[in-house]
Amino acid sequence: MSSNLIKIIITAVIGIAIGILYGWVIDPVEFTNLTPGLLREDYRADYVLMVAEAYHGEINADNAARRLAVLSSEAPSVVVTNTLDYAHVNGFTENEITQLQQLLTAMQTYQPQGGTAP
Amino acid sequence: MNFDLRSPTLHIIIALLAGLGLGLAYSWLISPVTYVDASPAILRTDFKDQYRTVIAASYASTHDLPRARARLQLLGDTDPVGELSAQAQRMLASGEPFESARPLAQLATDLQQGFASVANTNIPFAVATETPIPEIPFIEPSLITETFVFEEPTLSFEQTPLIPQPPITTSTPRPTSPSNPAAGSPFTLVGQDTVCDTSLKEGLLQVMLMDSRRRQVPGIKVIVTWNQGEDTFFTGLKPELGNGYADFLMKTDTVYSIRVVEGGSFVPNIAAPTCTDPNGASYMGGLLLTFQQP
Repeated sequence: MSSNLIKIIITAVIGIAIGILYGWVIDPVEFTNLTPGLLREDYRADYVLMVAEAYHGEINADNAARRLAVLSSEAPSVVVTNTLDYAHVNGFTENEITQLQQLLTAMQTYQPQGGTAP
Repeated sequence: MNFDLRSPTLHIIIALLAGLGLGLAYSWLISPVTYVDASPAILRTDFKDQYRTVIAASYASTHDLPRARARLQLLGDTDPVGELSAQAQRMLASGEPFESARPLAQLATDLQQGFASVANTNIPFAVATETPIPEIPFIEPSLITETFVFEEPTLSFEQTPLIPQPPITTSTPRPTSPSNPAAGSPFTLVGQDTVCDTSLKEGLLQVMLMDSRRRQVPGIKVIVTWNQGEDTFFTGLKPELGNGYADFLMKTDTVYSIRVVEGGSFVPNIAAPTCTDPNGASYMGGLLLTFQQP
């Protein structure tokens, strides 16, 4: 193999490396229009806590289930259970955990009414 | 300028550019950075609306304004109050009931005025510290109260500079939805002013509702009827203009009737006045109707 060809291959590899570095680190693709399923864990937990707080005031399981459905295709009770685990580990207050447990109880017994989500 | 196509330098430059192109194609198109830890700020618009709705619903239950404000900041809105108001208006325009939009409007109003307009009812649940059932024939009342210790619900008001609240001397009730502040005396028309202001939209009918203390009242339904139709709007959806403010655009040569639903005030024969600008040209002016509870 001629030395020229080797130089060309090495240069091309360097170019690829620079291109990947630029595309992944320096100027990565900026995503917008994401779905809530991609939220960071603490944001997801806070969202579920908000649903629990709202449920505490409204006592409306339909609303709560619809709001939880945007986070995941998992059953609402699973979403709340995961959040409760997170809450126990991350120092949520007793009141917040109680509200999450209240929401969990509601979601474990929730039967969809067949309405459309807002 | 002549290039020698057999020049090794040219080959190296071309190889470098081709490599760069391949690298960018791979990192931008084939395998871009995958977001798994996104923030609410980059959610799709409809999901942001959903997030905002849940923030408002949570706030309606807890009345924790600093927390609601912090949560709204996560969405990265430049004007959170405006976004809340706009979303509430979109919901009403799409036919959703006012009760659905009320938490958004209430949160926008409270953010605008800087304090929660209702009591902080983030009441802790009753907690039984011990639940043994004593197997004794008689229990002293004092022992009963020691067996079950319920945390006394606390009710605290955030800043209430204008509205002195009566002292709470009895047990605190469970949190409920904020009561309609307009319940009680009917609103009566106390002012009907012609507004000749070229900076406003032509035919702008402005409605302002106040209670007996001249505090503006949000969430009041107002119905405008004319010979070809009817429209409904609510006060407080533009908190930047006032919690008791609402407006409507009148058309020329049309006579309207205004009805404040809560209280039953009815004002017939409302029409856009004619104004004259400094150059002598006529234009359609506006009206300001002020209602107040006695």
